[in-house]
Amino acid sequence: MGNALANVGWESCLIDPRRDRALETYARRKTGVPIPTVRYFTSAPWLARAIVDLHPEFGLLMHLDLHQMDIIELVVSQENSCRFCYAAVRMLLWAQGMSEARIQHIEQTLSQADLAPKTTAAIAFGRRQSREGPQGAQEARQILRDAGFSAEEMKEVAFVVGVTDFLNRLNTIPAIPVHTLERMPEQFHMRLLRPLIKRIVERKRFRGRAAPPERPPTHPYAGLVNAYAGSPIALALRRTTQEMWESPILTRRCKLLMLAVIARGLDCQVCATEIEEALQQEGVDEPVLVQVLTHLDAPELDDVERVLMRFARETIWYEPAALQRRARALCDRLSEPQFIESIGVASLANGLCRMGAMVMGHS
Amino acid sequence: MSVAVIAAALALTTMLAAVLYGKSRRIQALEAQLQAAAADLQHLQQACSRLAPATVVQQLIVDSKSSDVAGTAERKIATALFVDLVGFTEMSERLEAVVLVSILNGYYERMTDAIDEHRGQVGSYVGDGIVAYFGALQSNPWQCDDAVRAALSMREAIRAYNVELGREGLPRLSIGVGIHRGPGLAGLVGSRQRREFSFLGSAVNLAARVQSLTRLHQVDILTTEALRAEIDKSIILVPMPAVPVKGFAEPVATYAVKGHVRAEASIT
Repeated sequence: MGNALANVGWESCLIDPRRDRALETYARRKTGVPIPTVRYFTSAPWLARAIVDLHPEFGLLMHLDLHQMDIIELVVSQENSCRFCYAAVRMLLWAQGMSEARIQHIEQTLSQADLAPKTTAAIAFGRRQSREGPQGAQEARQILRDAGFSAEEMKEVAFVVGVTDFLNRLNTIPAIPVHTLERMPEQFHMRLLRPLIKRIVERKRFRGRAAPPERPPTHPYAGLVNAYAGSPIALALRRTTQEMWESPILTRRCKLLMLAVIARGLDCQVCATEIEEALQQEGVDEPVLVQVLTHLDAPELDDVERVLMRFARETIWYEPAALQRRARALCDRLSEPQFIESIGVASLANGLCRMGAMVMGHS
Repeated sequence: MSVAVIAAALALTTMLAAVLYGKSRRIQALEAQLQAAAADLQHLQQACSRLAPATVVQQLIVDSKSSDVAGTAERKIATALFVDLVGFTEMSERLEAVVLVSILNGYYERMTDAIDEHRGQVGSYVGDGIVAYFGALQSNPWQCDDAVRAALSMREAIRAYNVELGREGLPRLSIGVGIHRGPGLAGLVGSRQRREFSFLGSAVNLAARVQSLTRLHQVDILTTEALRAEIDKSIILVPMPAVPVKGFAEPVATYAVKGHVRAEASIT
């Protein structure tokens, strides 16, 4: 298969997979197939669950066409140079019956003219959001509006882009192995199993249903969760963020500071304000926060926080192999659960911040 | 009769199979050509990425579809860093061309690594000089710290390189670095035939002037007041006397960068 990202530099994997029967069963029940990547993140259970819970194709989208969702995931993964997610989406498109030639046409953007105008707009949106982040949100929104997307569809597009940004980083930073996935469509037994995989995929991909809003969330990103009120997305976001805050591996203050750094790097005022309020409740004074956000360091930070502030900024714009080399240096300074959770927090913050800019504005 | 029909059917089937086989081989050949072309394109894009940042290459691809060369630049506040070799002209007259190019390549490589490592983009190589920008391509609120840390990494890299050069009996190198921050125009500029990513404005000119002041003040790294106000207080600065510079009405106050107060917790 002529995978467009096959030449992107990719280091050897930074973390060892660990089996967790309960988490693996959870993933398999929800998706219908084993999700091997879950094993890499079992040290931070909330993160292993988030991989499945936030995946848009399993009952989270009520309005957006699922084919458009696939294309957005492909384009954003290409923009972020995530070989793992890119190969996964390619594999999914192939399993659903799309020919290799067709996939190549889409990824080379040679056939935009024969794609539906809404799909073309979704591609343009995905590209713009991945390259410019919240700064380009207003113009990116206009692209969707002009193509005839409804307000609800636009929010779901933003969700798909944000979640893909999250998953791209989650798989890129620890360099989750890609070769098996990239070679799958070339394997004889996979070709034989293609109709079966197609049936499983079609059976397990399902549309979401309106979900009654729960009690309003109070944690940071409550505004984002509320923006999706009535959609199953709100419940998934609420659960993931709630579990992230409750996870004891990194302190709440450390996670908030990482989020604040990423919000500043992306220049998202809405996220920054929410996080700042939460940090004040944690006892972080404004001068300390200003010092951290201006120089990624402050005497008040502990050793773990100090290295993670710099790491968080590396995840905003990156080149995969360079980011993986920097993450390898981080690996030696943290325990494995801390390392994995920090990857999760940084990845999720990048996704939520980009998503928030689209659905709530960013300034 | 039936034997003739069967024979005809067999012949027809064989012919059809042959045609289908031929077509299938043709499709395979075309697919192989398409894949080879795609691979060539990827290699080309990778080669281009050595000449300009990936996003700039992408922008060039998009722009190449339109004949309009305007509209690709935007106003930004960025940090410009100029570095060059002290005494290069004299050295170039003494050394053989092959040796000189080898020394220069080693210097470029180390300086570029320091710039990349601190999220800068090399704008261009001019003779023995390098122009780099921080925060010109993508928004970077930490651009001042990045630029100064890149300069400190350059200092370390040159020290290490001098040890290597000394072992080979080659002359030692010393650099002068000037850094300034201010507004300018960032983007692809040039003619339809040749364009490059650049950051333009008086801020860039001042950075170049500051770099030339390193000779006057006998230091290797100089920054301006605009940087002093922004950079991490753990970086030690020594004020230099304000001096007039060409093209600027007021004398320019500069600060020599000495080093860090404490070792960084940097993961880079």
